[in-house]
Amino acid sequence: MLTFIVRRLVSGIVLLLVVTCGSFFLAHLAIGDPTPGLLGNSAKPAQRQALREKLGLDRPLLVQFWDWFSHAVRGDFGTSWRNFQPISEQIGLRVPVTLSVVLTATLLAALLGLVIGVASGRRPGGILDRCLKFASVVLFALPGFWVSLVLIMWFAIQLRWFPAVGYVSPDESVLGWLRSITLPSIALALSAIVMVAEQLRNGFFEVANQDFVRTLRARGLSTRRITVHVLRNASPAALTVLALTFVGLLGGAIVVELVFNLPGIGTLTQSASQIGDIPILLGLTVVTIVFVVIVNFLLDLVLGWVNPKVRDQ
Amino acid sequence: MSAVYDPLVALDKNARPIPALAKSWKYSADHRELTMHLRVGVRFSDGEPFDAAAAVANLRHLKTGTRSGEVYRAVESITAAGADTVILGLRKRDDALLYFMGLGRSWMAAPAAIRAGTLAGKPVGSGPYTLDTAGTTSGSQYTFGKKRRHWDSGRYPFATVRLFPITDQTASLNAMLSGQLDVNYANPMNIPQARQNGWNIASKVATSVGIQFADHTGKRLKPLGDIRVRQAICYAFDGSAILRAVASGAGTVSDQLFPVGEPGYEPGLDRRYAHDLARARQLMAEAGYPQGFPVTMPMSQPYQQLQPAAEQTLGQLGIRVSWQNMSQPDYQKNAPTYPMFLAVLALDANPAATVVNRITSRSWYNPDPSVNAFPELSRILGELGTAAGDRRPELIRRLDTALVGLAWQNVWYQADNTYFSVRGIKVTPITGMMFPTLRFIQRG
Repeated sequence: MLTFIVRRLVSGIVLLLVVTCGSFFLAHLAIGDPTPGLLGNSAKPAQRQALREKLGLDRPLLVQFWDWFSHAVRGDFGTSWRNFQPISEQIGLRVPVTLSVVLTATLLAALLGLVIGVASGRRPGGILDRCLKFASVVLFALPGFWVSLVLIMWFAIQLRWFPAVGYVSPDESVLGWLRSITLPSIALALSAIVMVAEQLRNGFFEVANQDFVRTLRARGLSTRRITVHVLRNASPAALTVLALTFVGLLGGAIVVELVFNLPGIGTLTQSASQIGDIPILLGLTVVTIVFVVIVNFLLDLVLGWVNPKVRDQ
Repeated sequence: MSAVYDPLVALDKNARPIPALAKSWKYSADHRELTMHLRVGVRFSDGEPFDAAAAVANLRHLKTGTRSGEVYRAVESITAAGADTVILGLRKRDDALLYFMGLGRSWMAAPAAIRAGTLAGKPVGSGPYTLDTAGTTSGSQYTFGKKRRHWDSGRYPFATVRLFPITDQTASLNAMLSGQLDVNYANPMNIPQARQNGWNIASKVATSVGIQFADHTGKRLKPLGDIRVRQAICYAFDGSAILRAVASGAGTVSDQLFPVGEPGYEPGLDRRYAHDLARARQLMAEAGYPQGFPVTMPMSQPYQQLQPAAEQTLGQLGIRVSWQNMSQPDYQKNAPTYPMFLAVLALDANPAATVVNRITSRSWYNPDPSVNAFPELSRILGELGTAAGDRRPELIRRLDTALVGLAWQNVWYQADNTYFSVRGIKVTPITGMMFPTLRFIQRG
């Protein structure tokens, strides 16, 4: 198991390095000289040169990369090109907001997906199974902002159970925090729930018809114990979908953050992209990749635990 | 800002400068020296006293600021005279200085916090409220608690003020509908919904919308140096139709740079360029451009709703536009390099401020003021620089008439800023302030 963990860790770090390096060089090569964008076409050459020197862009690209990289590994992503505020601070304030919503949505997707998926898989063609099929078509087709607006109209404006906008830090009020992330999390989770449920349902149905399950039944095992065995064999695909869902939700959070006015990394990504603030975009890229690597690592661990054969692959 | 900080000068509901931390002021006979007498007994929330030394430190700090510094361009020296008097020495007469100070360029902060550079994260002022950090979530919600003692406490009726920075207008409307907000900077399109909910609606002209001519002398685009071409463009646009289509009618059709209903505005001038396409085409032909001419203009997301009207109307005169797309921040940086561009620009309730902001000072929307190339303008502006107070209204009227006659800018209409507030709260909008300060949000 230790070799398995070390192997996964090393591959995660390699992925982090490759994507980070690629992002740095691609961003700089794509934008070239950012000073006209930062200062405008009317800026004089001397002003542009002064800004290039201030930003350190007059140095060779490899030197710039090493400077950025050597600081980034210590968590220092430099300062924004627009407002010269430390990027680590800006990202640090926003990560908890996005993670609160995305992790809650993933948790909802895992729990509800499990319950619905197993229930549907046990009675294929039943009412719940047909509802799941219908819901998966509808919820995949509905755009996230529309779902968000419907939730706001109903639960925030009509019933006034939850706030329509804003984020409350758990330091300020745990209840307020829960209320502020409930609707955004549901908006994000709805399509993920049916996706996980659908995967589990199919896996469950497939495994439940295998010979070993028939043997288990013949040996008189309880339905509960058989369900556990089936679930263990059916879960890898659903777990993979769940991990992919987390990564997808991280990207899809932009729309939900805008509609619910949440100060997360989605809205920061949007504003930094609009103004071409490369240091912020690089910082966000690294943070996102770290999340992806962590999630993939955890997924590998769980898959290795569920199916020991995976460890040897 | 107005929760935590007190200004030296405030504005009344007619945008006239009134005392705040500066109890009174007086200009010297030649208007080159402004002496301000300060309120005594005021303290910042960190315990530091507000006195002349603190005011000097603040004014010097404001003078070095990128935006605030523009207001203090004419200020040459800032000195303390005793414990409660400050003297501003001016390079030249500046009749807009007090207005701009009242507009939000004279907030006083604790000098220690200025020196430490910590104001962005921890504001320290002498204002009626203090930031409640426990009730604040950065970027989402800021809570301010009212101080027990404040020199102007009676003006601020709310024990707690919560501020939600919301950029998306649908989100802010939803927040108001759900009861999270009591006051909202609103989209005029939602006025029927506001009426349905029984909210108070307050509106006032705030911006001029139209085409900014940045090249009055034809240096970069020869046709624009011809007054007939500029006038033709003014005649061609149907401001009333654009106002209805783009801004739900929330505004007033006007050709002027001076805000409707404020000093300097002349109602009679608004029909000068009543929509007349035939007249526009005739002027283009007289100027020697019957087939029009090509022009390149910048384009950015906020102006996209105006783009079809601009393209279609200019096209009717044969003016063929090539649009160059760019991001919003780049628009302001690059617009000055184009001879003309679409612009939505803030209006000022103070005529002297309008003269400075829109005519004589170099800025992104006025890269080449070029008033010297127009003798009449130059003469009136020269007289304004020395005229006594009672002569100024007449000179401003003459200036306004001259600007409209020269088709200085192509203003389609003046758009309103609209605010919704729940029953029991009243907002008084001020032209020049996008968000009225707390003194303009009252019970009522």
